[in-house]
Amino acid sequence: MTTYALRRILQTIPILFIISILLFFLVRSAPGGPLTSARRNPNVTKEQIQAMEEKLGLNDPLPVQYSRWIGDMLKGNLGQSIKFHRPVNDMIAERIPNTLTLVGASFFLTLLLAVPIGILSARRPYSLFDYVMTTITFIGQSIPVYWLGLGLIVIFYVVLKNPFTGLPFFPVGGMNTRGKEGELLDTLWHLVLPVTALSLGWIAWYSRFLRSSMMDILHEDYVRTARAKGASSNTVYYKHALQNAILPLITLVALDLPSLFAGALFVETIFSWPGMGRLFWDAAKGRDYPVLLGVVMITAVLIIFCNILADLAYGWLDPRVKYE
Amino acid sequence: MARVILRRFFKHKLAGIAIAVLVFLVFASAFAFTTPYSPTDQEPTNSFQKSNMDHFFGTDELGRDVFTRILYGGRVSLTVGLLSTFLSIALGVLIGALSGYFGGGIDSILMRITDAFLTFPTIFVLIILGAFLREQQVPWLKNSVLIVIIIIAALSWMWPARLVRGLFLVLRERDFVTASRALGGSSSHIIIQHVLPNCIGPIVVSGTLQMASAIITESGLSYLGFGVQPPTPTWGSILATAQNQVFRAPWIAFYPGLMIFITVMAINYIGDGLRDAFDPYVIHIEK
Amino acid sequence: MKLKFLTLFVILGLVLSACGGGGGGNASSGGTVTLIIPEEPTTLNYFMSDAAIVRQVADATSMTGLATINEKGEYAATLAQELPTLDNSGLSSDFKTVTWKLREGLKWSDGKPITSDDIKFTIEVLSNPDSGALSGTSGFDLISSIETPNDLTAVLTYTEPYPGYLNQFAYGLLPRHASGEPADMANWEWNRNPVGAGPFVLSSWASGESLTLTRNPNYYEAGKPYLDSLVFVIVPEPAAQTAMMLNSEAQFQLWPGEFKVDYDALLKGKATQHLIPGIWNMAIDFNLSAPFDGDPTAATPHPILGDIRVRQAIASAINYQSLQQDVLKGSVSDSTNPFAYGWYQCDLPRKFGFDAAKANQLLDEAGWVMGTDGIRVAKGALYAKDGTRLSLELQGYTAFDPLQLTEEFIVENLKAVGVEARIQNYDFSIIFGTFEDNSPRAISDYDMLIFDRGFTTEPQDYNFDAYHSSRIPTAENPTGGNYFRWVNPQVDSALVAAGSSFDTQTRKDAYCKIGQAIIDDLPQVYLYLFQDNYGVADNLDGYVLSTWGSMSWGAQNWKYK
Repeated sequence: MTTYALRRILQTIPILFIISILLFFLVRSAPGGPLTSARRNPNVTKEQIQAMEEKLGLNDPLPVQYSRWIGDMLKGNLGQSIKFHRPVNDMIAERIPNTLTLVGASFFLTLLLAVPIGILSARRPYSLFDYVMTTITFIGQSIPVYWLGLGLIVIFYVVLKNPFTGLPFFPVGGMNTRGKEGELLDTLWHLVLPVTALSLGWIAWYSRFLRSSMMDILHEDYVRTARAKGASSNTVYYKHALQNAILPLITLVALDLPSLFAGALFVETIFSWPGMGRLFWDAAKGRDYPVLLGVVMITAVLIIFCNILADLAYGWLDPRVKYE
Repeated sequence: MARVILRRFFKHKLAGIAIAVLVFLVFASAFAFTTPYSPTDQEPTNSFQKSNMDHFFGTDELGRDVFTRILYGGRVSLTVGLLSTFLSIALGVLIGALSGYFGGGIDSILMRITDAFLTFPTIFVLIILGAFLREQQVPWLKNSVLIVIIIIAALSWMWPARLVRGLFLVLRERDFVTASRALGGSSSHIIIQHVLPNCIGPIVVSGTLQMASAIITESGLSYLGFGVQPPTPTWGSILATAQNQVFRAPWIAFYPGLMIFITVMAINYIGDGLRDAFDPYVIHIEK
Repeated sequence: MKLKFLTLFVILGLVLSACGGGGGGNASSGGTVTLIIPEEPTTLNYFMSDAAIVRQVADATSMTGLATINEKGEYAATLAQELPTLDNSGLSSDFKTVTWKLREGLKWSDGKPITSDDIKFTIEVLSNPDSGALSGTSGFDLISSIETPNDLTAVLTYTEPYPGYLNQFAYGLLPRHASGEPADMANWEWNRNPVGAGPFVLSSWASGESLTLTRNPNYYEAGKPYLDSLVFVIVPEPAAQTAMMLNSEAQFQLWPGEFKVDYDALLKGKATQHLIPGIWNMAIDFNLSAPFDGDPTAATPHPILGDIRVRQAIASAINYQSLQQDVLKGSVSDSTNPFAYGWYQCDLPRKFGFDAAKANQLLDEAGWVMGTDGIRVAKGALYAKDGTRLSLELQGYTAFDPLQLTEEFIVENLKAVGVEARIQNYDFSIIFGTFEDNSPRAISDYDMLIFDRGFTTEPQDYNFDAYHSSRIPTAENPTGGNYFRWVNPQVDSALVAAGSSFDTQTRKDAYCKIGQAIIDDLPQVYLYLFQDNYGVADNLDGYVLSTWGSMSWGAQNWKYK
């Protein structure tokens, strides 16, 4: 299995190269650039701007800029943010844990709710429970994240107040209340609204997927055989059906990661969550291309990493799969 | 066969309702010009009206009729959803068919490219790509709706491609293909006449889901300011400008989101119905 | 099983909200003011600022200099004992020597003394072309020598008289011992953790979230600041910002998106929105030369806009009052020319105010007949060929709501008189790009351009670049700023006059002459002047909002009622 993992990792290198080249030329060949707001400043002279451009190497030919960038990246240096004059590494390192917290909490909640709902729906198809859950999941899949986030703020921060304290139920944003950085309970309290907004769609999607996946398996021959041999309901559902239904779910989750970051971007903006999505959006507005490229590359690497993990987990869970 | 599928589809009551809703929405947007207002008619002294008989959804900060703007916004969102899905499916079917039918080296290369695209963090690349294309100042690219259609298609063709490839891998071993080849049929003849018709089911199902996703993506991009550019009204951009006035005029923020929600839900129900309708004729391949 | 889980979740939520409920709200204890900003400043060094947001935070910590500009637009001495003028011999009679005297006993926030060497250092940095400075460097290249006879005195010698000599030191002093090399200013640690002379000192910067500033024990004004700390929270979502003010979680909101009348009604009893004149002036720029012809010079007149009657008609078609009062709900004030504020303010009336009938008449006279689709067509026009439609592209920059609203309103106004305006917005970076980047206004590929522009207390550089005939951008002169391609000899000479005098009145007269020429000749149509708006909690006292200041300017005087 180790050789398989290594081989997969090697296979991803050309992919990363392709991605990096495409993105770099996209971002850098657009006109304007990070010095635009400086141009608007009534006090900045044109000569000063040109001096800045020279200094930042913005006037070198593109392939030269690319090789400079890729060389740095391979050494682990993602460059310097043009707007903040800080290493991109630092900026991303600050934000990654926050996004992972948000996304991780949502993922955890999703599994916690989607798996039981999916199983129960599969056990009692077309029952009242199933119909109610189906409707709820359809609703959950269709609500736009940003609309939901806005609604949650209005409802739980403005309109409804905690009957005991008279204060809002949940905070409007940020990761922690001032002075309570790092406190777990406080962070959890701040996570409630953003995680709700983010997870609703996933819970809906995954529970439905698990339901249909399990229902397919329940019709398979080997399940009927197990039932005929007198295996208990629980054994049938959990040992046979669930184990096999989980596998495609893992693949699905791994493939769905890119949209994960999309939802996180909206949630981070609405709830002032200091994560990577926010970092990207701020950088996109400001044309801070080292940050943009850094975030995209790191995210791509994360996605690839998770995909490989999912593959390995799949192989480990399913003894039928062999790796050469 | 089509009649059987249709019959099975309408057994799904909700799917039937959903089709009705969607058709209604399409017609409503198409006939948006029949409202007494145009989306740009301004009455600044009449701004921020709540819903009343004159203005079903009230008015916005310039006194424009929100209902009319939402209908016109529907045009954009539905068009983007439909066209980007068509484009994405066209591209995906082409790549998937070639890859699945011929296999070997072609398959390897095409799948590499597909994998590369699948690892893109989609929203980030959409924003960058959109900004890039908008800045090109090429005459035929001036329309931001066109740009959004292109970029969404460019980042979603992988799903139909994979789907079709998987189907082809299985179907090409089927007897009817062997028979056709034995009778001297050319590759393109086999692909188009024999294999593709068997794929229509899953493609259609996948397509409806993609359309829902495209509408959400377009709204999201426009909400962020990186999608369809003003003054073209679209549900996402109306929602974006409504943010400043959430407390003064919440209806301006409420209705666009509601419309997105209803449309996407309808499409999802339709997709569900289609999936069940095509069921026994199709091999189960997941997204 | 599921129901139990759901109940558990709800209870957990209630418990958490009760536990966490204490934090966040109560500001009257401990003297902390929370300020809401929509984006993060990229630096706390004003001279490196690339966006207005930097000043909003930096003003509380690193921008206390020798002088400051008060809300009346007058200079006042801060770190200096008094302002150097002719009367106290601080300014020599030939205007070329300036003597600054520091107060006694001044200390930086880290306790080290502020000396005249720091003045010298500040000059070294801001006159160094490699420093990377983006703001506040005007005139430093004119200082030929600096002498520091003692720790409190600095004598500056200029190569030529520079009217902005007070302005130069109104934005902060830099400490030699705590920063770095002048040529390296872009990379100073100081930019993210400044040692300054302001009332507050940065104590923590949570990237993307908030900046916390606490009282500077070494602040020069005894007993101040009254507050213990300032916390700037970064909240991008407009609804969340207002919601925070509603729940009294913050006391100061920067640029609220709601109009004043709505804001005040919503936040009654808690906070009020205050509007003060700003410096951002919204106007439509006309391209007087032919666009899209590969020739950026003024050689060929614009087929439609080259005729002054068309420009007059456009000016007459806009309902300025409705735009200001109804569309923008009174959040802007009227402005007719670029000099709409400051010591150079020129109150000149419009020559062509809103008069749709006149607009129609002018267009008829200019040879534009009404077409079948409601848009006029040329027939005997001055420059345009017969059959040309009166269709113009209106360019603006994206992602700015008031601009968008204004554009949409103007399009309707113009449609009413038969002029078609097609909105075509581009990203900031394109609209304000360079000649090399093919920015439309630089290469003369536009018809009408609408955006807000402003300049500070020292207007000469900006206006010379914008209106002098030698500043038309061409391939040989790519950095020129005369985008309208306007050639007016009276304006040229007025600009020269304004730049060579120290006398405020002489300069103001010259600027007003230019303002009048703009009103007469219409290379631009001015629409309105933005007002800076701030939402402030009613229980906060001692703040003074200034056109020339920022959100946190004067924070040393703030206290709770």
